[in-house]
Amino acid sequence: MSEETEALTGWKNFYDTQYKKLLWIPALMFAVALFLIFLQYAQTGDFLYKDISLKGGLTVTVFLEKDISIDALAQDLQRAYPTAEVSVRSLTSLGNPIGFIVDSDIDGSQEANIEALISTLSSAVATPLTEDMYTVEFIGSSLGASFFKETFFALLMAFVFMGIVVFLYFRLAIPSMAVILAAFSDIVVTLAIVNLLGIRLSTAGIAAFLMLIGYSVDTDLLLSTKLLKHKEGSLMKRLMEATKTGMTMTATTLVTVTLAMIFSQSEVIRQIMIILFIGLLVDVINTWIQNVGILRIYLERKEKHALHHESQS
Amino acid sequence: MNPKVKKLFTNVRIIILLIFLILSIVAIRPNFWNEGAAVRSILPNSSASLAQPPFPQPNPNTPPMSRERILAINNQPVVEPEDYYAFIQDIGPNRTLQIRTSEGFHTLVTAEKTETIVYNDTVMKTITETITVNETVNGVMQEVNKTVSRVVEVPRTETRSLGTADIGLRVYEAPTTNIRKGLDLQGGTRVLLQPEEELSAQDMEFLLANIKERLNVYGLSDLIVREAGDLSGNQFILVEIAGASEEEVKSLLARQGKFEGRIGNATVFRGGQDITYVCRSADCAGIDPSRGCGTLEGGWACSFRFSIALTTEAAQRQADATSKLSVIPSAQGSYLSEPLVLFLDDQAVDQLNIASDLRGRAVTEIQITGSRTGVSQQEAVFNTLGDMKRLQTVLITGSLPVKLEIKKIDAISPLLGEEFIRNALLLGALSVLSVAAVIYIRYRKWRIALPIIVTVVSELTILLGAAALIGWNIDLAAIAGIVIAVGTGVDHQIVITDETLRGQRIFQSWKQRFKNAFFIIMGSYFSLVVAMLALFFAGAGLLKGFALTTIIGASIGVFITRPAFAAMVEILLND
Repeated sequence: MSEETEALTGWKNFYDTQYKKLLWIPALMFAVALFLIFLQYAQTGDFLYKDISLKGGLTVTVFLEKDISIDALAQDLQRAYPTAEVSVRSLTSLGNPIGFIVDSDIDGSQEANIEALISTLSSAVATPLTEDMYTVEFIGSSLGASFFKETFFALLMAFVFMGIVVFLYFRLAIPSMAVILAAFSDIVVTLAIVNLLGIRLSTAGIAAFLMLIGYSVDTDLLLSTKLLKHKEGSLMKRLMEATKTGMTMTATTLVTVTLAMIFSQSEVIRQIMIILFIGLLVDVINTWIQNVGILRIYLERKEKHALHHESQS
Repeated sequence: MNPKVKKLFTNVRIIILLIFLILSIVAIRPNFWNEGAAVRSILPNSSASLAQPPFPQPNPNTPPMSRERILAINNQPVVEPEDYYAFIQDIGPNRTLQIRTSEGFHTLVTAEKTETIVYNDTVMKTITETITVNETVNGVMQEVNKTVSRVVEVPRTETRSLGTADIGLRVYEAPTTNIRKGLDLQGGTRVLLQPEEELSAQDMEFLLANIKERLNVYGLSDLIVREAGDLSGNQFILVEIAGASEEEVKSLLARQGKFEGRIGNATVFRGGQDITYVCRSADCAGIDPSRGCGTLEGGWACSFRFSIALTTEAAQRQADATSKLSVIPSAQGSYLSEPLVLFLDDQAVDQLNIASDLRGRAVTEIQITGSRTGVSQQEAVFNTLGDMKRLQTVLITGSLPVKLEIKKIDAISPLLGEEFIRNALLLGALSVLSVAAVIYIRYRKWRIALPIIVTVVSELTILLGAAALIGWNIDLAAIAGIVIAVGTGVDHQIVITDETLRGQRIFQSWKQRFKNAFFIIMGSYFSLVVAMLALFFAGAGLLKGFALTTIIGASIGVFITRPAFAAMVEILLND
């Protein structure tokens, strides 16, 4: 036990004294993430990989507990639809196949097109597919685009509103901006990682990014309150208390999210959970290194400023 | 421990929590042993719609637990929908069925389904018909009806029985709670439509009524038709139909709709081409100023009137069709012997008596009147105007104000929905347990872990209770909202716990400890709410459910469950 405390003290000491140097970690992370996202934009013309729900198109989810070759199915479909963009993903629960998802840019507003696709699929998997076994989603391309634009705008509004609330709460410009910066950086870095993993985002994925805001603000407000409002004990002591509380918060959420990721049968829920998982880890850095660094520099300057005033008077 | 238990149950904040919990359970009305097959919809002109007493068409606003359930047919119990379908599968035509439901008994007779085949060859057939001839009787020219027989050549036809016709009842598994499952969870079809041009508020209202009316004609009553918009001012119409398959809905919405007015066998006008104008403004539509409202047999009756304009061709057809009719005098004025029957997609939806002065006259401007009754004057006015509006809607149907474009279709299989609910419940239980485990590992105290479990479960219950009460659907988006509301709830309980334990160490007052904790909690609550408000108004309403659930869930947490949790912690940790 004592050994552990000592090791922690060494780490604590580094955390206490080197907070300015540590700030390079989130700064670099943010810069690399921005670079990756712009690279993605330059290459594909989009900030992220959109799935059908954001891009428009036809998605058919088939639930079939049968071992089928996804590659063979994709080839069959490519042969049937030489001009269309068709992709097939497998659907698994705890490693067992439970079905597959077909994404395509086929026009689903024509009834015949959907029927044709289903019959192609039926013959490809050698099982007649009944209505119970599949789910069809069709989204017009203009709706996908306008939904994306709308959400983007709403996200911007959300940040502005939150900034105002946090500012009204603390009445301090720099700490308020730090909270918003942390939430923004959480989203940007998580998006870059999600892109690297090649995840195609759905509307539910967008919702996950919004959920991230909620978790992000929780830890940042805890930290700001502890450092700026409370006066008992040394700054480092208050910081360690805040870290302990914040880490417990993150740990409970992470454990829950991990379980949901493993046991969920819904592709949609799983995507939400993956994004939350990544986002929560990123938030640890953005709160406990970046926001701590910014707040400590801010407090230091304020102190100096106060001393300066004293010496003048 | 005993005085502590007493303290727990006498604390105001905990009592408030308990009251909300009880109210929520009352609203949810759980009964996991609810049996039978709940009635989803009734097809028009089917055996079910002609039952004695007739099945009332289910209303989408009825709470799930108050819906009519079929419990037995001819004394054979119906425990689940499969029993119902198995029973009706091998029932013959012209059989009398006595159906016992949660609301009483219905008796119906099964009909025979027939098919008529028309062959290419012909047969001779003797028919009798009534013709009107001019005859001179006693030197006076008179119109006389005469019955004559003649032989005509008609194509040979054969009528074959196809077994029993569809009884017309659509059923689903009896609900076990009042929580409304969204389409993702129960299966059905969701369509997002966009009008091709911008509509005024009034046109939009009529378009929504039109769509509803037309879907109702097909016995699809468990539906939501509402306007959805986004921040750029795009107008959308969202149609959600539980239990309906995609093909059904799409063919209905894609079709232009056929509306006809017939007198006897003659079609007088068709929607979209013959009716040039239906008055909806106050100067020519509303309660009839010349007749108004009056008392009638202990109740009230009101009359409405509105005018429509016909093309000259339609007016001429109307004149031709009415010229042969006779006049029937009645207390309210004299009418023609045949009414004008309104058909929507070949289903009779309404009929109107024709005033006698219209006989044989080609009038393009027609006044349509009608009346309804009510217990009070207010009710009579309400019923009358409702009737008028419905009639106007029917008359405009077929001439939808704009073309609609299908923007999005989701068809969700009902089996997947069931699977999804099971999975969601498993995930929920796992989450609660894992949160408790982490909390126990951190604090090593059941006195902290248990209140957190109690709080999380209470928060979920009250949220679902609120959902059942307001009647909002729990779908995937709402589940994401619940996760974030309960998830940040756990965060805040940890803040409360840590502030309490810290206060204990530095001998702070309880008041100060909670003040510290709630400063953090309120800050993050307000930030979350404003962020969600921004989302509420964006994206064709697709994120509305998520934003709304998050806001309501977080509010329940901040104002009900977290104060109670703080009280529990205070009492249990105070030594």
